[in-house]
Amino acid sequence: MLRATLCLAVLLPLLELGAHAWIVGHVPALADYRAASDFIRAELQPHDLVTAAPSFIDPILRWQLGDKIPLAMAGRSDEAGYDRLWVLSSRGARPALDSTPLAAAELTRDFGELQVLRYRLPQREVLFDFVKAWPQAEAAAIRGGSTQPCRLQQGGSPRGGGLGRGVLMPVRRRFECDARNPWLFIADVVMEDLDNTPRYCVWQHPQGTEPITLTYRDVPLGSELVFAGGLYYEHERMREGAPVDAVIAVDGSPLATLHHVDGDGWKRLHIATAALGKTRGDVSIAVSSSQPQARSFCWAASTRQAPEPGPQP
Amino acid sequence: MSGERFGRVTTWRDHVVGLGLGVAYVALLLGTANTIGLARDEGIYVQAAERYAGWLSLLARAPGEALTRNAIDSAFAFNHEHPPLLKLLFGLGHLTQRNLHPFTTDSLAFRFAGMLSAGVLLWVIYLFGTRLYGARAGLFAALIYALLPRPFYHAHLLAFDVPITCVMTASVYTYYRSLESPRGFGPLCGLVFGLALLTKHNSWFLPIMFGVHFTFCGLLEWRSRRRSGERRLTLVPSALLWMALLGPLVFFGGWPWLWHDTLPRLKAYAAFHMHHEYYNMEYFGVNYFWPPFPSSYAWVMTLFTVPLTTLVLGVGGAGRALAVLRRSLFPAADGGNTQYDPTQPSLLVIGVLLTPLLAISLPSTPIFGGTKHWFSAYPMLALLAGRAFEELCHLLPQLKSRLQPLWALGLGGLLLAPAAVETAHSHPFALSHYTAAAGGVPGAAEKGMNRQFWGFTTRSLVPFLRQALPNGGTLYVCDTIGSAFQMLIRDGHLPASFHITGDIARADFALVHHEKHFAEVDHQIWTTYGSVQPAHVLLYDGVPIISVYENPRAPSRRTGTR
Repeated sequence: MLRATLCLAVLLPLLELGAHAWIVGHVPALADYRAASDFIRAELQPHDLVTAAPSFIDPILRWQLGDKIPLAMAGRSDEAGYDRLWVLSSRGARPALDSTPLAAAELTRDFGELQVLRYRLPQREVLFDFVKAWPQAEAAAIRGGSTQPCRLQQGGSPRGGGLGRGVLMPVRRRFECDARNPWLFIADVVMEDLDNTPRYCVWQHPQGTEPITLTYRDVPLGSELVFAGGLYYEHERMREGAPVDAVIAVDGSPLATLHHVDGDGWKRLHIATAALGKTRGDVSIAVSSSQPQARSFCWAASTRQAPEPGPQP
Repeated sequence: MSGERFGRVTTWRDHVVGLGLGVAYVALLLGTANTIGLARDEGIYVQAAERYAGWLSLLARAPGEALTRNAIDSAFAFNHEHPPLLKLLFGLGHLTQRNLHPFTTDSLAFRFAGMLSAGVLLWVIYLFGTRLYGARAGLFAALIYALLPRPFYHAHLLAFDVPITCVMTASVYTYYRSLESPRGFGPLCGLVFGLALLTKHNSWFLPIMFGVHFTFCGLLEWRSRRRSGERRLTLVPSALLWMALLGPLVFFGGWPWLWHDTLPRLKAYAAFHMHHEYYNMEYFGVNYFWPPFPSSYAWVMTLFTVPLTTLVLGVGGAGRALAVLRRSLFPAADGGNTQYDPTQPSLLVIGVLLTPLLAISLPSTPIFGGTKHWFSAYPMLALLAGRAFEELCHLLPQLKSRLQPLWALGLGGLLLAPAAVETAHSHPFALSHYTAAAGGVPGAAEKGMNRQFWGFTTRSLVPFLRQALPNGGTLYVCDTIGSAFQMLIRDGHLPASFHITGDIARADFALVHHEKHFAEVDHQIWTTYGSVQPAHVLLYDGVPIISVYENPRAPSRRTGTR
């Protein structure tokens, strides 16, 4: 017993020192990141998605490869539209994707303490990206039953920054729906959702029970319209705000409503469009709320074509 | 070695040793402070200290004027949610620097009083440990406390967390001594308690802890007297009486803010801390900002931030102490033969250890302070580790070695080594530091533990900023408060050509201190700059601490460094 106690007293610090040395010794060097990033950069193709695992190394990935990561990729709602996934991996971590279970990696390459993996993603063709196309849409505010167009404005410089400020205003290019209420605009932004996850989305703050609308003309409808939306983290986390409704209509007929209640986070709707019996149509998004204060609603959507049944690659 | 204590009477030699420990620690803190930037709270206390220093100058110059309500209110209204003792001492450091320039930087002058308190704390731990378990245990306890990574960081700061740990530990020590020597240590305990009240509100727990302990001792004494008729402990709570007398006197006498509108201001002070606002704190990937808070927080954070060997020794020592305590309560278990210490030091040490941890474990208690809100537990943990070390040393002769003292020295060095290595490695990123139990810094990052707070790590960006912006520039500095950033300039780390702005869009560079809830600032920058690519990322053990973004719309001032 005495010897065991003394052995423990000797072994424990040695083990702790060893564990510390092992942990510090396995930290990837910056040169590893540069080599791995150079490799990915050389191999990148259009429709490739790049991500990091574990997520805490994401800033390092963006430092080295950020020029290849547009806002739409960093703030994606899911992996639709991407053919392949590149993962910069440390500590043996694997990515957790929003909607896609991963098969085995088709390529693995070691760079010191880092690993680069490449996966083939299931084909989900994006026919129309509503976030990308927002400047081509028509924006309007319904007031007293009449439609008042929101004008596309350019210029201005966003003010401030910091906690609790949310999306900074004015956004440089925007549909301005009410100059007196600067949050009543429509534009693409990056906003964090209830999980602090970045979402590249269309800001469409409600003004009240009468909606703010955004209408896209002649949209290819495909087989499915995927619509996702949520509120700015600090406006949703106390779970005391009013619900927000986003009505999605095709050629004036309501197709679905995303009813967002605080606590829902980034909420997603999959709307089948094949049954509409048309290949193209005008799609409008109408956002309203009974209590519009601090209802910073932002959404992303796309139409997609399901792959033809058959053998998967 | 099975008793409550196996220490000895402290002598002047012990005070010399304690003083030496304290001086060496302060010297170490002075030598390592330069790489730690001012934290958010420090920036506020600098402003308070400058005002209080102005009042002290006025008091020396024109006492009558200084004691008017107008002069008192204009100096002490700022930051009146915290008592003034430390801010007055920080202010004295500032006055000393202004007149005599003994410090190499202004921030050191402000911080010196906090560092001194850390040195005094080691002195007290050594004395307490020597008294309870012997000089070797006392020395080991002081050293193992000095080598706790997070307290080592906080010991550099002009803040209240280490000073309140110092005066609370001194209160515990003087209270304990008063049980045997009420005439000398009773008043001293009252005085130290008053200083604790003047330091921080954590001191409110002291009378409760001492009250419980004294009641327990009194009940055991009463039982003992009934059985044997022997008087071993006075039933007059001398220290508590002196605390009740001197505590309020020192508190009110030392806080000029309370000299006018006393009751409303006292109520406001209490209300501020009873209904403190909540800040964000990440724990296992969840950003907690509102109750209920996780009850496991203090325990897991202790496991993840205190070196494992230190923790095991402390828990081992606590186990031994608890066994003694159990025999005190149930003397029949060992035939009633053991002579028990009527002052019950095990109960006192374990009680003081557990009280802050249990208080933080209440779902309603905010957790935003990280580990610093239960720092008063750590000197007790160190004392118990000292006890365990002493007991281990007593096992050594049974190895039949003639080199027993050297074995003890070697064992002590080995047991302290992980703490020394971890603490050295944690500097100057101690709030980002996690021990091997958490998987180190990257392991904790992967688990979703808080990365940092207070924005002090901007100091570590200075080499990059000087190189990237040789002619200076405008920075958005995220969580770094303006006065903390100005100290980088006052201390000469950055030239005066650097300025800060609250507008991300107007900055040349925008910083993000990586904490979960600061993701918002990342995204504000992405939208404003149209890019997700930082120009630089400050790393600690491969974990991002700060991302720096370059504004593509600002006139380029960079020299180009990647």
